[in-house]
Amino acid sequence: MAVGLVFLATLPFHANPYLLFVGNLAMLYIVLTVGLNLLIGYTGMLAFQNAALFGVGAYGCAVLRVTLGLPYWLSLPAGGLIAMIVGVLVALPALRLTGLYLALATVAFAQFTLWVFLHWYSVTGGPAGIQMHPVDFGVLASTAEYGLYYLTMAIMLAVVALTWNLVRSRIGRAFVAIRESEVAAEALAIDLTRYKTIAYAISALYAGVAGGLFAAMLGIVVPESYDLFQVIAQFAMVVVGGIGSVWGAVIGAVGLIWVQEALRAFKEFQEIAFGGMILLTVLFLRGGAMSLIKRHIKGWDEPLRRIPRKR
Amino acid sequence: MMRMGIRTLKSAALALAVAFAAPQAMAQEVIGVTDDEILIGALGVLTGPLFRNGKTIYDGVETVYNEVNAAGGIHGRKLRYVREDDVCKPDQAVPAVKKLIYDHKVFLIHGGGCSNASLAAKPEIEKAGVPWVITASTAPQLTDPVNPMIFTTMLAGWMETAGQLQRVIDLGAKKIAIVAQHDAWGESRYTPLLDAFKAKGMEPVADEELSPEATDATPVALQLQAAGADAIITVLFPKAAAALLRDMYKIGYKPIVVGGSAIGDIKGLNDAIGIDGALAKFQSLFPTKSPLDPSEDVQKWKAAVAKYYPDDEFMVWHMFGIASGQFMVKALEDAGRDLTREKIAKVLATTSVPDPDTYAGPIACTPEDHQCYKSMAWFALKDGEQVQVGETHLSQ
Amino acid sequence: MLPFLLTSGITTGALYAMVAIGLVLVYRSTGHINFSHGELFMLGGFFAYTFHVTVGLNYVVAMLLAVIGSFFVGVASDRIVYRPLIKAPGLSMVLATVGFSFLMKGIGRFFWGGKGEYLSIKPIVDPAPLWIAGIPILPQQLIVLAGALACMIMFTIFFRSTLAGKMMQATAENPRAAYLVGIKVEQVYTYTWGAGAAVAGAAAVLMAPLTLLSPDVGFTLLLKAFAATILGGLGSMVGAVVGGFIVGITEALAGGYIATSLQEVSSFIIIMVVLVFRPSGLFGVYGIRRA
Repeated sequence: MAVGLVFLATLPFHANPYLLFVGNLAMLYIVLTVGLNLLIGYTGMLAFQNAALFGVGAYGCAVLRVTLGLPYWLSLPAGGLIAMIVGVLVALPALRLTGLYLALATVAFAQFTLWVFLHWYSVTGGPAGIQMHPVDFGVLASTAEYGLYYLTMAIMLAVVALTWNLVRSRIGRAFVAIRESEVAAEALAIDLTRYKTIAYAISALYAGVAGGLFAAMLGIVVPESYDLFQVIAQFAMVVVGGIGSVWGAVIGAVGLIWVQEALRAFKEFQEIAFGGMILLTVLFLRGGAMSLIKRHIKGWDEPLRRIPRKR
Repeated sequence: MMRMGIRTLKSAALALAVAFAAPQAMAQEVIGVTDDEILIGALGVLTGPLFRNGKTIYDGVETVYNEVNAAGGIHGRKLRYVREDDVCKPDQAVPAVKKLIYDHKVFLIHGGGCSNASLAAKPEIEKAGVPWVITASTAPQLTDPVNPMIFTTMLAGWMETAGQLQRVIDLGAKKIAIVAQHDAWGESRYTPLLDAFKAKGMEPVADEELSPEATDATPVALQLQAAGADAIITVLFPKAAAALLRDMYKIGYKPIVVGGSAIGDIKGLNDAIGIDGALAKFQSLFPTKSPLDPSEDVQKWKAAVAKYYPDDEFMVWHMFGIASGQFMVKALEDAGRDLTREKIAKVLATTSVPDPDTYAGPIACTPEDHQCYKSMAWFALKDGEQVQVGETHLSQ
Repeated sequence: MLPFLLTSGITTGALYAMVAIGLVLVYRSTGHINFSHGELFMLGGFFAYTFHVTVGLNYVVAMLLAVIGSFFVGVASDRIVYRPLIKAPGLSMVLATVGFSFLMKGIGRFFWGGKGEYLSIKPIVDPAPLWIAGIPILPQQLIVLAGALACMIMFTIFFRSTLAGKMMQATAENPRAAYLVGIKVEQVYTYTWGAGAAVAGAAAVLMAPLTLLSPDVGFTLLLKAFAATILGGLGSMVGAVVGGFIVGITEALAGGYIATSLQEVSSFIIIMVVLVFRPSGLFGVYGIRRA
């Protein structure tokens, strides 16, 4: 693992700008999928709003930075906070709903958010979006690319470490209890709404911060980046990597970004590939790549990780 | 056994590190140019709902390249065209353009169909100093202010919409309304259209929205009728346009309707609606000649596209690519055998093709103006056939 | 203006209702929402195009074949997606159908979406509008309405009066009891998926001459059908039909009286508002069957 980290840390010195971008993108998607997995995999809530909140974070960051002129180090966390607030505001009514109703409500919310991005001209700039000038990292990094790369890396490591500890804590155990049986969890005096809201808030915060990073990487924030395909891509990462596993989310994000770039020439099959991967994994390998690793590398242990079964 | 996992991880990481650290291909004199080949990159949408905006254009460009190669190439070099898909999205355009520049190592870029994606790619292209000839993106800020390396052979969005507005005024309309789809494609024309109204000191009497997937446009038709519009400018793809034209006809409302370059097949649109007379007062503007044009200039390219891409149905979009391809070939011929990126950019800045086979007017760049194309033709349906009814040339 | 908007809202509403019927049908018997239902509509339209335009068959024959084709795609959904996951948690099923929808969208695009301009089916009847009591209506719209009504009546008769229909009802109410009285529950599921898909296919075939076909129509339509089912109370067949009409009419009125930009968004707002304030829908069946 140490070697892996050294490899990541030194990537800017031996990779061309294209590979550097792909590496950066993979780390950003780790942040997204780890958060989404907390919701789907640990708490067992099926929610489609992650891509929309990713967009809210990106727009939040861009609006604060471009329109209001805040520095990036302030607008990035602020964008994350805005996404978190929106996420919780959605969560409060949505959490009264269970299962399919939650899924449907969040699908509608995701499409509604996209509509707002497209139509709220005075804030979001409509379909043309918001253009953002490169971030200046001053003495910390020679170019914006290097700066963003290391910033993303730092955030990614923090998110993984934080989540790893979170899922082993009392909160993580409460999440899993809710997933396994809401009734039993309630009987154990677990406050359902409170813990569900926590899961929501954390995943929304991760998505929002990732959005701010994404905005800086692309230099432009436009609605079409946060559409249905974004939802599917993130689902595919969580599912293929291993639902309900922090490391699974990491593997899924890196793996699928790699697949997406390696198969650039076959983009006409991209929908078929992503849809097919989700379907095949759910059908034949419900624990995703992590279940293979667990099977073949004995002694690999991850707490509270178990393939969810029917109640 | 846990250690084995780490060891596997270690060796994998090491292998990757070695692969990345391996010496990059030997630096050449000029990136993307060898003794017998020029490598040209295409950046644009190849798949998904908007593929016409890219794939068909590059099929047009590559048809020109193929014909040139078949005739021996340019100064002894063959043209090779590599395409990277941006799916019409900035998040895909940035890796795509980086891959073209740093992985494929192309000499120049010839492509770009979606404005948002092209705007996202622009900083990277500027930074790398790669010449770029845009085939279809219409955002004016791509070439204005002038960048020494960036050129476009496509009508800017504002020109198309200004042309549409001028046309309806010329046709005698007084109360003009807009119907637009509010997505990235629609936006690159919608805002300039509002500006065009402002520049003329006019206001649209109605400004309605129609979704690209719309199947029913009755509410829009009624709103337009209530506003008393006598002419309508559409910023719509064919699907929504068909619904609008049909439902306006249905309620017995028959204003002048002017469409844009997305509606290249008026005859097909008429067939889809199926009502004789629904398109009686419809005109559409394209930068090209009609794809149904019987002239030798168009027909030979139609045949060539059919030869290389038997699955393609010949469309306006191919014609964008063919004209742009002819322009690029002219510039490469003029630049001679000693190529550098700076040199070709200089040559491009003074290249002109007075009569491209598939365009309605000349392509001409000047060092001061890299918006190299400014003509459009008007088409309407007469006796069931798509015929040209006029041309608009904006001054150079 | 109102009568114009109402007729247009009712026609689109009929379409939404038909798509919603299939969704509810599957939900009632399996307790799952099929997120790939919109793609069944999309494929139905393309099947009709292939049989009618490419092969050149008579419209009615092509229509029947397209509906049969959709039925088999539905059966395939049952075999590929539902059957293997019958004991899996609801989460897996949603993910699987979401994946399957993208798979089908990609396939639809590969075969029908990537060559030329949009595909279209020419109007079958004389397309000039008829004026009925001062309201213009397209003959094809009347056909859509008639077809939708016919479908709804057929379904009612099927469930009320036929053995197969009663078996489906029984399975939906209590699969274990149904199994005990000798109903081949698995077979019933297969037919349910097939029938749900066939209605979506029928809706597509009726609608095809009114619009251009595109591979991206599925998700848009799925959301409208969601709105219809939620408004009517998830699981209620009558509710889905009424909900479909309400969604169609709301869209038309919002577009006609407020702003045309609201036409698209009204269904999302309906879903969110209903779920927050009255999750049981207008007909109050929330909680009858929770997955």
